[in-house]
Amino acid sequence: MSGGNVVAPQGAEIRIGKTGAILIQIGVVVAIAVIWEMSTRLGLAHPFLLPPLSAVLGRLAEDTMSGSVFLDLTLTLYRALTGFFIAAALGIPLGILMARQKLFGWFFEPLISIGFPMPKVAFIPIFILWFDIYDTSKIIMVVFSCFFPIVMATYAGTKNVDKWPLWSARSLGTREGQLLWEVILPLASPQILTGLQIALPVGMITTVVTEMLMGGRGVGGAMIQAGRFADSVGVFAGIIEIALLGMVVIRALEMLRARLLIWHPEARH
Amino acid sequence: MTSEFGIKVEGVSHSYAGRQGAGTLALKETNLEIARNEFHALLGPSGCGKSTLLYLIGGFIPVQNGVIRTPAGEVHRPGPDRGIVFQNFALFPWKTVLENVIYGLKKQNRSKEECEERARHFIKMVQLGGFENHFPSQLSGGMQQRAAIARTLAVDPDILLMDEPFGALDAQTRRVMQEELRSIWRNSRKTVVFVTHDVHEAVFLADRISIMSARPGRIEHEIETGLGLDRDDSVIESKRFIELSEQIWRLVREQAISASRGEH
Repeated sequence: MSGGNVVAPQGAEIRIGKTGAILIQIGVVVAIAVIWEMSTRLGLAHPFLLPPLSAVLGRLAEDTMSGSVFLDLTLTLYRALTGFFIAAALGIPLGILMARQKLFGWFFEPLISIGFPMPKVAFIPIFILWFDIYDTSKIIMVVFSCFFPIVMATYAGTKNVDKWPLWSARSLGTREGQLLWEVILPLASPQILTGLQIALPVGMITTVVTEMLMGGRGVGGAMIQAGRFADSVGVFAGIIEIALLGMVVIRALEMLRARLLIWHPEARH
Repeated sequence: MTSEFGIKVEGVSHSYAGRQGAGTLALKETNLEIARNEFHALLGPSGCGKSTLLYLIGGFIPVQNGVIRTPAGEVHRPGPDRGIVFQNFALFPWKTVLENVIYGLKKQNRSKEECEERARHFIKMVQLGGFENHFPSQLSGGMQQRAAIARTLAVDPDILLMDEPFGALDAQTRRVMQEELRSIWRNSRKTVVFVTHDVHEAVFLADRISIMSARPGRIEHEIETGLGLDRDDSVIESKRFIELSEQIWRLVREQAISASRGEH
């Protein structure tokens, strides 16, 4: 296409509007569903390797009736969110301290830099030794993996706060002790929220992987169980469950961000 | 009439720490006395330390050598007696216009009703009536600067420090804002220190102009504009304005040339 046509799709995008965008998104999901279903129906894929969508949905319906879906989802969600919130409760204050107190910054920065890129899953055997295989060690794994992105984002966001609004506040009579709550945290909040938005999917992933490795109930545990019994329909049912759960939780956090940052230029799009 | 001074800067030097330990001298033994209720412009090439001098008066950076006095006493830290308006507005982006203006008022012993009434009054004064509940990100640059001016004036500082406040605005908005600032100053009578590198802006606004030398900064010339208290658009066509602008421009030009050649 020539360069002149580049403008046209942008104009079209505006005209499509919100409902149009939602229709397109639904269309993508329907298309994937149709391709999935047809590929096994037409014999392109072996039904054991790729069970038809209808069979997977049937299994989901069965599990919904029996209630086992809710038990697994609730357990997984409970572990992911508990770990996530504990990580936030630890990570946000530490990030602020590191940015505000040089001594804390010097002490923790190298530790965080080492810990951040480390594969947290490598610690599972140790955590099993220390905390057994039940909820405690699973939640601690989630805390451990969510903690680093939250600390880093809070640290960077708090440290790089623009000095001009701070100076304004001080000349308007704000005392040093009030600056943190009244000016610095609101200014850093977009970055802190970004840190939380990065940490949440990491926490969901860690929950499922930990459940797979430690066993027991929960979506991850159910999937590994199904795998061991060569129940590929069960495995795919688990994948759909976790995909839906992840989508709902992440959308909820996005909506929270939009509510909190209504003042931010990003809300004007 | 000895107590009628607005700001006294006595023997103030300031150097910024350099990377290799050797600091850059931004201001060298600067002396300046500004009368109470005077509109004073600090003019000079970029990098001459005029903003540094303003931040020192504001108390934002600590005074290293010398003394700065205001009627409220010696300057050590920022305070509501010295309001400041920055080039980039520095509003609180998460607060609406009204909340921005109320913020400083809440720090003073005023009732809730009084805070809001006073804030609305100043928002109207800077012609922002109707935009009380807008966030800064929803306003144009000129409107944001109006809001910042309202926020600063509302707490009623004795001294108004302005750091190239119209530097980020387009030429038309700039002219309008200059005229309005002059008339606001006429009605509120404050000591104003206005930093700019725009000669016309300085001549139009100020009673007195200090021209600063290139780094290290010092006050090289002090000039009375003598254009009278009431000024409107017609002033810029007067002979006095044109001659004064020419004269000042030549003085600033010398400094700008030596600054661009790196002469010290």
